[in-house]
Amino acid sequence: MKKESITFKGVKEGVYLEIVGSDIKQIKNELKTKMMKSSSFFQGTTFLGVKADELTSEEILEISLVLKYKYDFNLRIDGDFFKEIIKSYQDEETGENLLSDISKEGMTKFLHGTLRSGQIIEYNGNIVVVGDVNPGAILKARGNIIVLGSLKGVAYAGLDGNMDVIVAAYQLLPTQLRIGEIIVRAPDGDVSEYRLPEVAKICNGEIVIEPYLPNK
Amino acid sequence: MDNEKLGTAIVITSGKGGVGKTTTSANIGTGLAILGKSVVILDADIGLRNLDVVMGLENRIVYDIVDVVEGNCRLKQGLIRDKRFEKLYLLPAAQTRDKSAVKPEQMKELVDELKEDFDYIIIDSPAGIEQGFQYSIAGADIAVIVTTPEISAVRDADRVIGILEAKGLNNPKLIINRIRPEMVKRGDMMNRDDIEDILAIGLLGIVPDDEEIVISTNKGEPAVIERKSHAGNAYMNIAKRIIGEEVELLDIESSEEGKFSKILKMLFGK
Repeated sequence: MKKESITFKGVKEGVYLEIVGSDIKQIKNELKTKMMKSSSFFQGTTFLGVKADELTSEEILEISLVLKYKYDFNLRIDGDFFKEIIKSYQDEETGENLLSDISKEGMTKFLHGTLRSGQIIEYNGNIVVVGDVNPGAILKARGNIIVLGSLKGVAYAGLDGNMDVIVAAYQLLPTQLRIGEIIVRAPDGDVSEYRLPEVAKICNGEIVIEPYLPNK
Repeated sequence: MDNEKLGTAIVITSGKGGVGKTTTSANIGTGLAILGKSVVILDADIGLRNLDVVMGLENRIVYDIVDVVEGNCRLKQGLIRDKRFEKLYLLPAAQTRDKSAVKPEQMKELVDELKEDFDYIIIDSPAGIEQGFQYSIAGADIAVIVTTPEISAVRDADRVIGILEAKGLNNPKLIINRIRPEMVKRGDMMNRDDIEDILAIGLLGIVPDDEEIVISTNKGEPAVIERKSHAGNAYMNIAKRIIGEEVELLDIESSEEGKFSKILKMLFGK
């Protein structure tokens, strides 16, 4: 049996859906599970169209309508424009698509300045803070979290259970740290301050914090 | 359940900010736990939470009072057990919300539910007399007013007592916080009698101004635990009075000299 697969690709004009395979039932199922995980991720983006070489035009239309009415996609009906965009991102020799699935990697939000107590930043992607995160502030990211300053608030990375993400900071002193489904907190009592950047990630089901060594 | 406890809900309030409501809540709650009571301290200052820091439990917060009220988690999941006393729990406030997130009826429901499992529910009210104050007093059986020996704090305390009485919370009790005996002696600070004259409510205790409080707050360890300070002892006495023990005011607590020296004066006219 051939593997059916759907991927959302992002280009600067918007996003489009690329479908490989022709089993419409399986494709719809996969779309459903994918959208369950990441429906809010696409809010407000322009949807350019569906690229599916093995489907009939009726099937493509059906999927477009599902996206428009069920998931509230902002559909842009302009077939030629879409075709041109697709072409521009294809490898000229092999015809292979050069874009990766953006719903996996996610986009990145940059924040400049200090995040203070009571501020909460939630993002369906990665978060980079160019500044400090004070105690009482909360960062929630579906992807990774990087703080170019001291992280003293609460950080949740991998919101939907992704264990492969990291939390890194110049000074990693979070009140509480969550990666995927694992929660840890600083030990009670005085903790000696480590003055170099550190990275937190999951190793064998536990959150470990290690110094960031640039040469590694 | 026939084994239901019917706990007492005590709201700690003041009107004015910065008089020591949170410190008082943490110390009374911890004091009651030391005396063997089961206690939950509830931080009602949504948006400006502090109690978790004063108790040294900030890094344990997963859910908060708004999550409980909105049904995002069960009440038991929201309660944080103290790291020192097994029967002491904290229900932290939400930091990322504001006071409109909880309504008086919801608070009453919450406090009533807690009363089934705890001897005492200590509610740390926010400053002011608006929304936050209104829901803080909604489920309370007893009100404790904290004031400092300053005319502005006493004025606000007086206003709050009036509001409480209008709401049917009669006989509030008074704690005079941060009194400085040497200043009182010099006549530079209001004394116990001056304050009692104005407010005319029962006195629950007097807590002296004490550097140790600053240290213990920064350490996240209520002063009542170590009890090496006057303030820590004063808070312990207050906790004892709450459970019905008769405890005399400490020397340091009384406005002028101790009772003994007063008697000496009477006898010898010195």
